[in-house]
Amino acid sequence: MHKRYTSLSFIIGLFFLIVSVILLTGYFTSAVLSVNINLYAGIAFLFFGVFMITRRNDDGH
Amino acid sequence: MNILCFNKRLIAVMKLHFADYLIISLYFIFVITVGFIIKKKIRSSNDFLTSSRNIPLWITSLAFISANLGAQEVLGMVASGAKYGIMTVHFYWVGAIFAMVFLAIFMMPFYYGSKARSVPEYLSMRFDEKTRALNAVSFAVMTVFSSGISLFALAKLLEIILHWDFDVSIWLAAGIVMIYTFLGGLTSAVYNEVLQFFLIVLGLSPLVVIALHDAGGWANIQANLEPQLTHAWKYMGSADTNPMGINFMSLIFGLGFVMSFGYWCTDFLVVQRAMIARNMGEAQRTPVMAAIPKMLMPLIVVLPGVVAIALMQPALQSKGFSIPKTADGGLDYTMTLPSLIAHYYPSGILGVGITALIASFMSGMAGNVTAFNSVFTYDIYQSYFVRNRSDKHYLLVGKCITVAGILISIATAYVAKSFNNINDLLQLVFSFVNGPLFATFLLGMFWKRTTGHGAFCGLLAGTIAAALTHGLTIAEGKGGWIAPLFEIKSGMGQAFIVASVSWIANFVVTIMVSLVTKPKPPEELKGLVYSLTAKPEYHEQKWYKRVVPLGIILLLITIILNLVFF
Repeated sequence: MHKRYTSLSFIIGLFFLIVSVILLTGYFTSAVLSVNINLYAGIAFLFFGVFMITRRNDDGH
Repeated sequence: MNILCFNKRLIAVMKLHFADYLIISLYFIFVITVGFIIKKKIRSSNDFLTSSRNIPLWITSLAFISANLGAQEVLGMVASGAKYGIMTVHFYWVGAIFAMVFLAIFMMPFYYGSKARSVPEYLSMRFDEKTRALNAVSFAVMTVFSSGISLFALAKLLEIILHWDFDVSIWLAAGIVMIYTFLGGLTSAVYNEVLQFFLIVLGLSPLVVIALHDAGGWANIQANLEPQLTHAWKYMGSADTNPMGINFMSLIFGLGFVMSFGYWCTDFLVVQRAMIARNMGEAQRTPVMAAIPKMLMPLIVVLPGVVAIALMQPALQSKGFSIPKTADGGLDYTMTLPSLIAHYYPSGILGVGITALIASFMSGMAGNVTAFNSVFTYDIYQSYFVRNRSDKHYLLVGKCITVAGILISIATAYVAKSFNNINDLLQLVFSFVNGPLFATFLLGMFWKRTTGHGAFCGLLAGTIAAALTHGLTIAEGKGGWIAPLFEIKSGMGQAFIVASVSWIANFVVTIMVSLVTKPKPPEELKGLVYSLTAKPEYHEQKWYKRVVPLGIILLLITIILNLVFF
């Protein structure tokens, strides 16, 4: 389990997942961030993040 | 790397909000975290400097492309897209894919099969120590200075667009790169390059979509721009009929052969990413797999430039976009991408865009530093100063060299700040050294008669020929420092001619000297020269795992793309 959390796919996925949360939260809660591009980019990053987190671990090390 | 010149006075400052700073901070935290995770796996100098050849294909391929996705690629190619139009795709569809496929099929078997830890080490096996020393020292100097110039450009850009303090930017960016490369060495840099790749691609993709939509799509762009800016080949018949100021012969030989093959097939910074693959098959497939995103990269880095210049045409001026001007009234093309980001990105995605820019600089810097520490440790320190010490000793040296490399980069950045011309000078010297290099490898790998003396003399002759050609030609006010005998229309055309002349000089001198000097016996050249090496047998049954069919498909697609945008 620890190996999975330290795999590159998981790290990249987690990064984009958090960024998507920031963008989507901002879109729904902040007037400054409430622009459609943040919504679309947030959703795209969310899908990409989930994809990377759930893909098979293959880091070599 | 091209010089990135920034004009401080004429760009609007971007205003970041909390969410933007949060995303930038998150990126910094993640890249450092990668360093700490990899640190636990570093037990030997090979782990630190060569990743113990244990990196899977998907990572080596993305790192291969990401090592080339530095500031020049991102900012420079958007700028070229605005300046030269769609012709900029030649840097990809002429100046990259063919060389990457050649590297995969013909050269990786020697780099990987010889078990050399670096490109200079291959030269020592194939030729001799003096050829290795010449290549290792020039490469080490070039990489560490390139790293410094990249750092300077990052700090300068952040100072202009965000009003961040120059010193803080320098030390923050260098400090973060130092932490993760010191902790995890090459593996850490490679892992972060993959993260940076996704960040750059995903962070800039929305910009392309929005800007293209705002400009009314490709058809509207074509309708509003001069045809020379929307055709890749149609106006290449004469240097006078296209914005690059070069004809198709100069382009194909200068860029498509000499410069392209010289960079992609011999530059250890990129080749190193393929050399750390798990086996020969994956090492060969690394450049081929990397060629797929490379082929599509113009969508991210050329198209925005073309869109930007279209948005400044009279019919689209109502969109309110403009590229800042320089003090002399011309367009400051380097600021094209930052201007697009400032114009189209609201807070939130703006943080992603800025982080992508920062990532492109840090990726370039880390790539240079990790290549520098491998070459310095193995090819200079271990080869000429301290031999036969314990592995622990070389691991320690590798780590110390990483720190030293970063500190020299910082010093270079400050020198570049004080003496702006130092950038031009360094880039010029780099081009003199790099230009002729491919001839040495080509002859070394495919002509067993090539000798060490021939290779060494050829490299020196090529470098001198490059300097002389530059000194005797003048383009856009540059060169002609000996006597401006020949005028060339564009700086890019001059660069192609300098590279071509230096390559030919190296090629001819290497052959002439080799013919009058004693070659190595054939038994010493097995695994190093094409005719004396068993050809790789591709046992993989599936065609998509074979490098030759993959390479042929990529070349066909590349040719089709060239025809589509003819």
